[in-house]
Amino acid sequence: MVGVLIRMKLRVLSHSLGGARAASFAFGALVGLAAGGVSLFLVMLGYQNGVSIGTTVASVMMLLWTIGWLIGPIIMGGGDETLRPENFALLPLSPTKLAFGLLGASLAGVPPVATVIAFLGLVVGALWLGALPAIVAVVTAVLALALTVLLSRVVVGALGAVLGSRRGKDLGVLLAALAGLSYLPLRYAGEALAPVILQNNPVLGGTLRWLPTGWAPAAVEGAATGNWLAVIGAVLALAAADGLLLLAYSRLLVLRLTTPQTNVGPAKAGRVKASGRSLLPATPVGAVIGKELRLWWRDARRRAMLLTSVLIGLFIPVFSSAGGRGALVMLPFAGLWVVGFSMLQVSNLYGFDGTSVWHTIVTPGAARADVRGRQWAWGLIVGPIAIVAGLVLPGVAGSWWAYPWVLGVLPAMLGGGAGFMLLLSVYWAFPMPVQRGSNPFNQGNRPGCSRGLVRLLSMLFLLVIALPSLILLIVGQIAHNPVLSWIAVPVGLATGGFAAWWLGRLAERRLLARGPELLAQVKAAG
Amino acid sequence: MIRTGREGNELDTGGLPAYGQQQSAEQAPALQITGLRKAFNTTVAVDDVQLVVPRGSFFGLVGPNGAGKTTSLSMAVGLLRPDAGTVRIFGVDVWESPERAKALVGVLPDGMALPERLTGRELLTYTGLLRGLDQATVAARAAELLGVLELVDAERTLVIDYSAGMRKKIGLATALLHAPKLLVLDEPFEAVDPVSASTIRTILQRFVASGGAVVLSSHVMELVEKLCDHVAVITRGRVVASGPVEQVRGGQSLEQAFVHLVGGRTGGGEGLSWLAS
Repeated sequence: MVGVLIRMKLRVLSHSLGGARAASFAFGALVGLAAGGVSLFLVMLGYQNGVSIGTTVASVMMLLWTIGWLIGPIIMGGGDETLRPENFALLPLSPTKLAFGLLGASLAGVPPVATVIAFLGLVVGALWLGALPAIVAVVTAVLALALTVLLSRVVVGALGAVLGSRRGKDLGVLLAALAGLSYLPLRYAGEALAPVILQNNPVLGGTLRWLPTGWAPAAVEGAATGNWLAVIGAVLALAAADGLLLLAYSRLLVLRLTTPQTNVGPAKAGRVKASGRSLLPATPVGAVIGKELRLWWRDARRRAMLLTSVLIGLFIPVFSSAGGRGALVMLPFAGLWVVGFSMLQVSNLYGFDGTSVWHTIVTPGAARADVRGRQWAWGLIVGPIAIVAGLVLPGVAGSWWAYPWVLGVLPAMLGGGAGFMLLLSVYWAFPMPVQRGSNPFNQGNRPGCSRGLVRLLSMLFLLVIALPSLILLIVGQIAHNPVLSWIAVPVGLATGGFAAWWLGRLAERRLLARGPELLAQVKAAG
Repeated sequence: MIRTGREGNELDTGGLPAYGQQQSAEQAPALQITGLRKAFNTTVAVDDVQLVVPRGSFFGLVGPNGAGKTTSLSMAVGLLRPDAGTVRIFGVDVWESPERAKALVGVLPDGMALPERLTGRELLTYTGLLRGLDQATVAARAAELLGVLELVDAERTLVIDYSAGMRKKIGLATALLHAPKLLVLDEPFEAVDPVSASTIRTILQRFVASGGAVVLSSHVMELVEKLCDHVAVITRGRVVASGPVEQVRGGQSLEQAFVHLVGGRTGGGEGLSWLAS
């Protein structure tokens, strides 16, 4: 059973790897295996500095790998779904047997191998401590590996069950976006905790050993110091935890296979008459603005993108001011960061909406309205946030000098962003994974390295569009001429307005001329 | 109202009608496809397709899976650029003057998304305003369409949460909203429950009766036989028969004629001796 499933999984993997995907897979595999190697090395280093330090380091590493197994699937797209339990729902198999089989198959892959390498650190480290600790290490490392993998499966599975409905999926997209953001606070936490770990703080060490991820190193420590009670306790606890998780996993499988993943109650669209709508003109452009504003609010993917870019734009300056360095320089410019990030994120507007662009193509005259409406909608959402940030934050930071800089560059970036974004969306669209029935965590991305290229281009473009204002500002600064600096504001307004109009017109013409090709581009391959 | 259906029928007789001569706009067929061709890499999906859909006709396009029905219809309405050939809607070339041609046609493609996160009414309002209709007209027509298509109960449901049948119905509503003279519908009855199907059928029959032309693709022969007055059979990217239903089926049922025309062989009779032994 396990053998058949592993062969099946390897076959599916080899079919789904081709060209660019194979390269990125190989790169990911290299990084993963290297991480495993580094972790192994660190644990060995720890044990060479004594049993206690080694145990602490091993506990930290196992905890980190387990966290990785929990967060990774949420960020990377729902974990390992190469073999879906649904495919085996009609086979006469007991849930436990199926759980065992899927678990075995899920061990064939790069992340498990990297984790095995990392956990080998415990065994290698224990070799220094003698034969008995080494034997204990082998047994507990296997149990700990099972614990990590099972925990990840159960947690992601349970989340999937909760997030199975469309509403839940929307929540999942947001969760994934926030998990992706969490690396910032995590980094600061890591920087704060690393010295404490190296000092071998007894409270922290004790906590780490009592966590399930620390049971295996604690057992090895017990074997090395003759505390056999700890060894037996840890091994039994690990085995019991594994058993419970396996049971939970098979229960989840049953649940997943017997409940339909659909909405039971119809989702409501909120107020029937949205108040914002009546303010918009009853013209084609007004209709598109109304539709776009609704989609920005209702489409979880779009909302998550905007939310994260606004949060990153505001947090990076705030966090760096918490760090102390450059606070006064960064904080006043948060508004610019918001515009920059949200433009970087939103360069695939037609990809978001998938094949629904057919609607624009078959409607005469709709291309113009569509491009302009999308520009306005983005500007109406990002603009106010950026403008408020630009008006308030320099004052809050006490940097009054920054006002002409922020207010001169902001309109140029807003207008330029609204134009360039549409140009990218029309000229360089790529399909997003279909949202109906697909993984809630899968967000899709530009293939290969073109993503980096697009980001670079966008940043260069933002710099170029801000140049007229910047030159005035720099000259004004050097010449100590505030009038010159303040002229940058109308100049920024003019460049921004022109860029939005001109680039929008280019996008419009392209959409009109090459609509069918755009439709073919955004049609997801499968 | 001048019924031009008769003239259309005459165009059809004797297989392929005469092409080349430019008909005046008053008598040009609702849809005329000439020499249409499309290849994806090395696969020729549509190979020299000729079709004439007379005014006021109910035209069925039938063919096995992968025969090129969807590809042909996509090219006919401007959603897929043909490699060669012309498409005229009431004499207006779709690829040369798309703005004029697209104002005359309502489209329901198969398997393409709508703006998913709008309610039915919001979608219709958006479509209508985008088409340049005034607000009062849009509101009145949207209300009427939602009522006739029985989508009022789902007033606050987003299109993404619609069932397959409801999606077809709201798609049909968006196609009808601007009162087109030609409807091009790709698989309008797929996954639609019998009650909704009967509603759609009645609407389409009324549309044809009041002078509009409908082109629909399907692979349900009984439906096409019952509903359409004209039919074209397309297989492996070519039109193998086209004309009034009576003429194409030639005394047999349409299904028999179809199997014969596409060179199919009804399998399933041999082997499998272990089954139910």
